[in-house]
Amino acid sequence: MARLIKTEAVVEGRTEVRWTLVEEDSTPEWPADQPPGVVGEPTTRLTAGARLSGSARYTSDMQLPRQLEATVLRSPHANARLTSISLDAARAVPGVRAVIGPGDCPQFDGEAVLHDEPPYGGAAVAAIAAETREAADEAMAALDPQWEPLGFVVDLDQSLENQTFQDDPVEYERGDAETALAAAELTITSDYLAPAQLHNSMEPHCAVADWRPDGLTLWSSTQGIYQARSQLCGSFGLDQEHVRVICHFMGGGFGSKFGCGPEGVIAAELSRRAGRPVRLVLSRRDENLSTGYRTPARFSFTIGAGCDGRLQAVEASAVMGLGTGGWAYPVLEPVKSVYACEHQHLMTLPMRLNLGPAAAFRAPGVMEGTWAFEQALDELAEAAGLDPLELRRRNHTDVDPSTGRPYTSKRLLESYDLAAELAGWDARDELRSDGRVRRGMGCASQYWWGGGGPPAYADVRIGSDAKPVLTVGMQDLGTGVTTACAVVLAERLGIRPDQVTVRTGDTDLAGHGPFSGGSMTLASVAPAVRSAGHHVRTQLLELAADMFEIAASDLELTEGEVRSTDGTLRRPIHDVTEKLGNAWVTGSGSRAPNPDGMAVNTFGCQIAQVAVDTLTGLITVERVVAVHDIGRVVNPMGARSQVLGGILQGIGFALSEERVVDPTTGTVVNAGLEDYKIPTLADLPEVECRFVGEPDPELALGIKGLGEPPIIPTPGAIGNAVAHALGLRLREAPYTPRRVLEALQ
Amino acid sequence: MRTFAYARPARVEDAAAALSQPAARAMGGGTDLITQQHRGILAAESVVDLRGLGLDAIAAEGEGVRIGATVTLADLGRDEAVRERFAVLHQAASAAASPQLREMGTVAGNLCQQVRCWYFRHPDLTCWLRGGDTCYAQVGDHRKHGLEPGDCISVAPSDLAAALLALDATVDTSSRPQGIPLADLYRKASDENRSTLALAPGEFVTAVVVPRAPDASAYERAGERHAWSFALAGVAAARFGDQLRLAAIGVSNLPRLLDPADPLAGLPGLEQTAWKRRLLSGLAGQALARVSG
Ligand SMILES: Cc1cc2nc3c(=O)[nH]c(=O)nc-3n(C[C@H](O)[C@H](O)[C@H](O)COP(=O)(O)OP(=O)(O)OC[C@H]3O[C@@H](n4cnc5c(N)ncnc54)[C@H](O)[C@@H]3O)c2cc1C
Ligand code: SF4
Repeated sequence: MARLIKTEAVVEGRTEVRWTLVEEDSTPEWPADQPPGVVGEPTTRLTAGARLSGSARYTSDMQLPRQLEATVLRSPHANARLTSISLDAARAVPGVRAVIGPGDCPQFDGEAVLHDEPPYGGAAVAAIAAETREAADEAMAALDPQWEPLGFVVDLDQSLENQTFQDDPVEYERGDAETALAAAELTITSDYLAPAQLHNSMEPHCAVADWRPDGLTLWSSTQGIYQARSQLCGSFGLDQEHVRVICHFMGGGFGSKFGCGPEGVIAAELSRRAGRPVRLVLSRRDENLSTGYRTPARFSFTIGAGCDGRLQAVEASAVMGLGTGGWAYPVLEPVKSVYACEHQHLMTLPMRLNLGPAAAFRAPGVMEGTWAFEQALDELAEAAGLDPLELRRRNHTDVDPSTGRPYTSKRLLESYDLAAELAGWDARDELRSDGRVRRGMGCASQYWWGGGGPPAYADVRIGSDAKPVLTVGMQDLGTGVTTACAVVLAERLGIRPDQVTVRTGDTDLAGHGPFSGGSMTLASVAPAVRSAGHHVRTQLLELAADMFEIAASDLELTEGEVRSTDGTLRRPIHDVTEKLGNAWVTGSGSRAPNPDGMAVNTFGCQIAQVAVDTLTGLITVERVVAVHDIGRVVNPMGARSQVLGGILQGIGFALSEERVVDPTTGTVVNAGLEDYKIPTLADLPEVECRFVGEPDPELALGIKGLGEPPIIPTPGAIGNAVAHALGLRLREAPYTPRRVLEALQ
Repeated sequence: MRTFAYARPARVEDAAAALSQPAARAMGGGTDLITQQHRGILAAESVVDLRGLGLDAIAAEGEGVRIGATVTLADLGRDEAVRERFAVLHQAASAAASPQLREMGTVAGNLCQQVRCWYFRHPDLTCWLRGGDTCYAQVGDHRKHGLEPGDCISVAPSDLAAALLALDATVDTSSRPQGIPLADLYRKASDENRSTLALAPGEFVTAVVVPRAPDASAYERAGERHAWSFALAGVAAARFGDQLRLAAIGVSNLPRLLDPADPLAGLPGLEQTAWKRRLLSGLAGQALARVSG
């Protein structure tokens, strides 16, 4: 029996209350004495072969019969009014099948998709679908747009002076910070400036739309197929039954691909008009101008503490550059929630700039806030004459400091201890020297949400060949969640993960499920998968009981066999399933809510060791020790990959990635991968990765999420390591050779 | 991208004839040419691929070495004799760009590549060097530009140019087979002619000749990450007996010969580039130390 329940979940810092449908569930919670089976064994990604051989089909690879290619005209000005455009001249170009301009395209999430007053360089103005890319380019030239350039603001301080907010300022207060600061024995003030980091997913934003009389199918590179469907229904006034969204393989999103995106609406509108499938793949440049970024932010902290290093009060502000979209990401969350501190006054000011809309980016707000605040804490440690880790230990909290709620589990202190031991923290001063290359070591704490929650649904069926098919309402943005689901199912059915076929990424296949974000996917879907698997297991054991005349309670499924607990029976599961003929045994599962009144968080600590070349200014991250508390680890191999990727992306933020906006023209000058420098594998340090903590006792299956945690502490740990190495602190990231050499001047 | 004619002649004369057509461009690996064409920076009507001319050999010549124009950076980097006798060239060739680009990019293409200034490469802007009126870099963001004031403050990007200048190399061209000093391959762009190459229409590089091997040589460069980064600055040093030659890229408009006694001479730095002076003097000191006997 299904019932509707009301649940609360924290999604990337925002609390969402939702009603969800949950099935009554008889699946036993994982008993303490039950062996984990394949759960926790390193498992190669099920799709590794397809990805490596190129047979995996991404949205950008789609090639439907009679498919047209689309291009988008984008504004070259930081702010402008379109005064004329020759849509008909473009329509007259041979091979052109549809041309749309401002006013011709439905809105996306209530916002214009094609602009007649494009508010930033790179804003879409018109779109063309043609037989070939070349014909589309020729039509683009025929559009001959005329612009009236308008004034623009691309400078954070200027926007603050003008008081132009893109989202409501957020103020947070607890206690009386002003009084407490005045009374504090130690106070420090410090400022930090974080850059705009561009996502640069390997696969750009793209969509292939096939509009037919009986409905719309959209292949989309998306982190949320169900959101994409709702958005398309909203844009075009269609029913859910007439929209299907598919995303089989995805080359990353990192928060920039929630839903179908404007590109989905453009492709669908062009397909509707042309009566043909249309593919729209953004160029790297368009990607970097229009699809989002981690917001640049200026942080100011005033911290008051006792001589013992215990935090008493923090006043902090963050001025963020949201561009023309996005929301006030929780940049001051690390101040508010990581340590015990009674008095706080925090202000977040999300400013509007004539730049593309910001978007969530892997731990949005929290990563850059951690980078800044964890360095301010090191400054405090220095002022207090304390070891930085000791300072963090002293400020540890057993309850969520903003709500007073207890945690479902928290192994932060253990993370500090293990990381310190693995990194050789106690001997860190011995790394220092005054030669050409200076070494240092720094740490940072990690805090994030990620306990998952409903809604999430899964279906399992098994037929005569004993190879189950698992259908999950989700998409795999590349994290390996598909493989983790196979592992969870394999445990229930006593088989190997690679015997499971997992179907995801299709709104017509399964009811519903979470978007891939907030480090919530696996923690949300895995319990549903297990429960669906458990139903199938129960039925298989009942069938086996009838066949072998042994009570079902005396049978188990292990290593591909049905076995009796007394050891007398060992038969391949296939011997049971083959009796099914063309029938299936099926089972469904859904995700139950998390306990009320408790804080669900992941924690961790990273320690980075860096070498700064004072001659070239180049910083090498030599080693990162990453210890994270994420509850139960389903697939250690996949988990380690997440950690490596997060650390590398964090290194990019700290050392080389930075969108540069020309102050005089307001355009981005490094929107390509030559000038915008993401790290390469040559920049990857030695990584020592460990997970502490048992399965979370309060959460289904004990799983907490890992997508975002590993990127969170990396830049802060690097910043602290650089300060340790040089004896001076760089206040603006990334720490490029120029900034290093300027600081040493 | 606009369409263009493509030819791959087999003889130098045919290539020269094809290149004397208006809006014709020489192509080595195409790694720079095609991206410029793609962004609308260049509008070549025809592209003449030089890789069919048989100019792809590295051969000893007298006391030195002759390197064909279309030898790839990768082949140059792999050449044992070059590694042993012309260390600076080996090091520069192996440090440039990325492995993929080195397999495609040619020696002459590397020497003749355009500047990488982010305004010059911007699809929506036409800066002074591209024929416009404004040097956007001087009024805007020139944090990675040169140390030398001028109409254009972008920097010479070619690692090979620094190495070859230090080695006192000459360049053979289709119309000047007797060779010209490498420095004469370059010119300062002017209001009338915005090219930084001193080649006549139709003229192209056929080979680079290093007349003799130095007693010691070394290349020092700084990049923005550990692979695949243009040099923020690169300094090549070569010692012939007690004569020192020092050359740099990344600091001035054209590859530049430096005074070993005062490498920063004539390079005052600009508003946002003073940091490069520290870098240049550090790299120069290091390169000189590595070649000192
Ligand atoms: C992302 C990136 C990073 C790079 N990093 C570096 C780096 O760190 N260091 C470095 O030195 N280089 C670097 N390069 C440049 C790369 O090495 C050059 O693109 C390459 O060497 C050019 O060679 P090519 O043969 O492909 O030239 P092409 O693209 O074929 O030609 C380049 C130019 O030279 C002209 N040309 C070609 N051959 C001749 C000839 N024989 N005579 C006259 N003119 C000719 C062409 O007309 C064109 O104008 C980088 C390039 C890219 C794209
Ligand atoms: S530095 Fe040279 S290439 Fe760059 S904008 Fe100025 S003129 Fe153009």
